[in-house]
Amino acid sequence: MDDLIKPKILRGTRDFLPKDMAKRHLVMDRIRSVFVNFGYSAIETPAMEYAETFLGKYGDEGSRLTYTFKDKGGREVALRFDQTVPFARFVARYHKALPMPFKRYQISPVWRADRPGKARYREFYQCDIDIIGTKSLLAEGEIAKVMTVVFEALGFQEFVIKYNSRRLMNSILTTLDVPEERQVEVIRILDKLGRIGRGGVEKELSPHLSVETTRRLLDIIIREGSEAEKIRWLQAYDTKEIKDFLRICDAFGVPMEKLVFDVSLARGLDYYTGIVFEAFLTEVDIGAVCAGGRYDGLCSMFSRERFSGVGVAFGFDRIMLAMEERDMFRGIRLNSRVLVTYFDEATLPNALRILTDLQTARINAEIYFEPEKLGKQLKYADKKEIPFVVICGPDELERGEATIKVMKTGKQKTIPQSQLTAYLNGYTYD
Amino acid sequence: MTDTKRTRIAIQKSGRLTDGSVKFLSSRGLRFQRNGRNLITPCDGAPCDVLHLRDDDIPEYVCRSVVDFGIVGENVLYEKNVRVRLLKRLGFSPCSLVIAVPQGSSIKVPEDLEGERIATSHPRLLTRFLRERQINAAIITIRGAVEVTPQLNLADAVCDITQTGTTLKEHALVPLTTVFESQAVLIESPFPKPDTMNLLSL
Repeated sequence: MDDLIKPKILRGTRDFLPKDMAKRHLVMDRIRSVFVNFGYSAIETPAMEYAETFLGKYGDEGSRLTYTFKDKGGREVALRFDQTVPFARFVARYHKALPMPFKRYQISPVWRADRPGKARYREFYQCDIDIIGTKSLLAEGEIAKVMTVVFEALGFQEFVIKYNSRRLMNSILTTLDVPEERQVEVIRILDKLGRIGRGGVEKELSPHLSVETTRRLLDIIIREGSEAEKIRWLQAYDTKEIKDFLRICDAFGVPMEKLVFDVSLARGLDYYTGIVFEAFLTEVDIGAVCAGGRYDGLCSMFSRERFSGVGVAFGFDRIMLAMEERDMFRGIRLNSRVLVTYFDEATLPNALRILTDLQTARINAEIYFEPEKLGKQLKYADKKEIPFVVICGPDELERGEATIKVMKTGKQKTIPQSQLTAYLNGYTYD
Repeated sequence: MTDTKRTRIAIQKSGRLTDGSVKFLSSRGLRFQRNGRNLITPCDGAPCDVLHLRDDDIPEYVCRSVVDFGIVGENVLYEKNVRVRLLKRLGFSPCSLVIAVPQGSSIKVPEDLEGERIATSHPRLLTRFLRERQINAAIITIRGAVEVTPQLNLADAVCDITQTGTTLKEHALVPLTTVFESQAVLIESPFPKPDTMNLLSL
């Protein structure tokens, strides 16, 4: 056979091996349990939808990066680009049946026809939470709290949540006589400040603003100081939202030192109207790992009803990469804790009884499938990183005992079979 | 109905800490009926009640602010792992949490405990001790009569409280190492009432 198909996959997509999946599930479970802890309900939307649902919602760049194709029936179809727009479509469709305000989480893959690179894939996961149907700033406060709890649950101590207010930005731009129709574009350019610096921003702003206005604007925005100072310097503009937000965060127990006010933070997307967020893990140079903000008109594309919402997306794959880089997966258990060996035909029923006892006691366990030499069975346990092997031959069986081999140390211990689960459950660590 | 304005102090109903606790409170001028049939006894001339409880319930009562203060063994406090404020180590009722093995055991040093069964009613303190020394062993948690487990082939070692060492000796157990040194401690609720009396400055 020389017509074999090469077992290759598309650029920017990935296969995940058992070890990868153990880590991914661990992280996903921790994130999910925080979402559930705060009362968010799970929803899911289709991987593909009518192209018109997605196209034009993410700006020109977003439309270019959206995967579109014709389905078998000739319909224009697109792959999910993020989880926010499908959520807006979902709310427009089901809002009468949903409890309002509605809090949902969604963890699913999205697809972008981007150039693949470090921490940039064409298929990747997002973990979103959104609160829709309330304008209360308590929602922003809760989102900030959830961010801190998620990072802490994952084991990160060093992180910052940068925030800004679109309302404040608009107030600054209006005071500087920037016409309203230009403000979105100006905000989009300001968002690049971190990447292209003051010089780059000045150049990109030149077709839109006078040299003098650009200078005044950047002087306001690029000013180093303490958190309180930064807010005090902006007293002339609309800072009420930010002060209220901080008050709520404080009452929520969000550590104040984690919140960094950044007037240059704009978030590229057009639909934000209030507080915007971007969170960074300060020990890892990987870009924002969580971002989002307040939006007002998102559902208006699908419904005449108005819904104000606030939400963030956690970049699951970036978080994975950060944890990998920080070596935070040490000691992770991949699969079974116990391998029960297959000694011979005569002892097999007893081995299966031991196996069932362990599994019933919620100890993950498996049996080897052939009565091979012990060495081969131990090698299997070793390769699969199973920490304990239970051996029960005819001698042990007669005495009602079993031998446990601890793979890491090679030490063996013989105890009554009836004590196996208590013994394994009592272990200090694997 | 009891008056919630009164300060409540919990002490062990009857046991190792009872005498010391009563002495400590009377040294602060608090006099009350020794535990008779009443769980709650008022102090003479002070806005204060003394509660006589099981010692391992005291941290819970203090944590939940049902009582304002409690006197309890430090070992019990750590084992319960509840959020209370440790105000002071009181110096009385000292005892040790030790690991002991049967005479003639092949376990000679703590490292030999690797893979062995250790019976205890202090699993948290024992886990911490074993983790610090990176010893991986099977902790068998039981409520009491820890000292008989080796002769029943339920454990290879015990981790138990000892004051004089008599109980260990009676069961032919030899101390191997000390896990925790304990004494009576004064604890306070994490949510102190604004008008609670200050037990330490009395």
